[in-house]
Amino acid sequence: METEDSSSENGLLHRKQALYSSLDSCFEIQKEMYRGQQYSQIYFARLHLMRTLLYSLLPNWKPHIHVCTVIGLEEGKECIIVGTLYKHMKLKPSILEEYSKERSATPLVRPHNFMHPDDHLILEDESGRIKVCGDVLLPSVYVTGVVVALHGKETGTGDFWVEDVMEAGIPHQIERPIKSGEDKYVIFVSGLDIGSSTSNPLKFQLLVDHITGHLGDKKEQSIAAKIVRVIIAGNSVEIPRGLLNGQNLGSKDQFTLSEPIKELDIQLTQIAAGIPVDIMPGPNDPANFSLPQQPLHRCLFPSSSAYNTFSLLGTSGQNIDDLEKYSDANDKLEFLERTLRWRHVAPTAPNTLGCYPFTDRDPFFVETCPHVYFVGNQEKYETRLIKGAEGQIVRLICIPRFSETGVAVVLNLRNLECHALSFGTEFG
Amino acid sequence: MATSKSDMKGFFKQKKKSGGITKAKAKSSSTKKSLSPKRSATYGSDITQPAALISHGSPDIEDDYDEKEEVLRQFDMNMAYGPCLGMSRLARWERAKSLGMNPPEDIGHLLKAGKVGAECLWEGRV
Repeated sequence: METEDSSSENGLLHRKQALYSSLDSCFEIQKEMYRGQQYSQIYFARLHLMRTLLYSLLPNWKPHIHVCTVIGLEEGKECIIVGTLYKHMKLKPSILEEYSKERSATPLVRPHNFMHPDDHLILEDESGRIKVCGDVLLPSVYVTGVVVALHGKETGTGDFWVEDVMEAGIPHQIERPIKSGEDKYVIFVSGLDIGSSTSNPLKFQLLVDHITGHLGDKKEQSIAAKIVRVIIAGNSVEIPRGLLNGQNLGSKDQFTLSEPIKELDIQLTQIAAGIPVDIMPGPNDPANFSLPQQPLHRCLFPSSSAYNTFSLLGTSGQNIDDLEKYSDANDKLEFLERTLRWRHVAPTAPNTLGCYPFTDRDPFFVETCPHVYFVGNQEKYETRLIKGAEGQIVRLICIPRFSETGVAVVLNLRNLECHALSFGTEFG
Repeated sequence: MATSKSDMKGFFKQKKKSGGITKAKAKSSSTKKSLSPKRSATYGSDITQPAALISHGSPDIEDDYDEKEEVLRQFDMNMAYGPCLGMSRLARWERAKSLGMNPPEDIGHLLKAGKVGAECLWEGRV
């Protein structure tokens, strides 16, 4: 058995360690003071940030084309404009429609995806907005909130005919230490849903036992000894919401309400006794609703961390689920890749995704390219390695819901290889 | 229409600077006995122009606003620094600075000195 880091004197295995520093401070809102501002401020911050970036990239893209603002467009003159996209969607739920007496385009049964062939895109900056047409910019791919640069010209009808589009692209990545020698694993799990009818406590117990080395023979334990961290990406508990009906809760109900969290705490204690754990709140967890969700105890969302100059970025799923409602892609990994190329983790916030109205910054902007980009609470385990134009390499991971699939994800920090860890409790 | 002096004096104060433009002030026939709050939007008047565009003599603004306030209002109105509502002027100036827009330094000094209005001109009025 190898003894590089795990000494086996007296048959004792030592767990490997990895240095860790959390970069989540940009998502904390303790210092923010809400002064009645509207979302125009965060959109302005986003537009300015990304426009400055896009302007700096223009000389490499099309250096000889004139750049102007929407109000400065002249008919027939070729130019480049930069702004925020807005997608006009016929089927998008609107609070006003619920009050209007005639129900026009919206069917009574709400679809899971609000796309419609008549959807069109509009580009907007501080000076004005203009409808965008052409085959290059497909409304099915883009969503409201993405900032892009468009090359084209204004037509006679007052629309902007697009010839080419430039996104911000994947940001610069700090190089990963290539040969760090030993295998170190990070385990990702999400959607534990403790307290729900679908979660099986035995499955989670098996996972905990595996991580803490209580399972298997020496060989398996030595593999478990190489796990350096566990990341729980959202939806760890399911609170029985039926009890919350606006009345004061009796003591028995209060006990039932807090059961799932207590159970989670017990399980986490077993893991945390020997290994660092990151727990992120998800849409069903007792944390605030709007993004960025604030820490559950010491837990952070989105969780962004650095190991030995290795960086991870991920969410509990709300951003990708929202993209799925308003656009189309071949798989969830494609949505992940798009958010990275747009350089923005949650472009649909605050339009259709709840978000804190920041005034001076947009924390969802991706400054540097992570090495691992994950999303939790998805239907199935999927992973892909993507490459950027400057040689960046990113491992994209979709973490499935553990309560439904019994699958956790193991990532090897040494070579970015990923595999699934599956726990089943049925026979046959 | 003549301005009756009794309770309208505090309401419509006309302050003419040299070469200023006089505007005929239309007011509603039902006179309010109580004085409206000083910075309220124009009540019962037909004047709808935004206060910043009237360089003097607007009915809604406190009488003694000066060139410093005027400079700050132009800063509020400047589109390049983004929307002004919902942020204090200093916060907006700081944001402009941190985003690299190079806002004029003297506005920063003016706001930090603290003797001027801290909020943008639309604050509390929209």
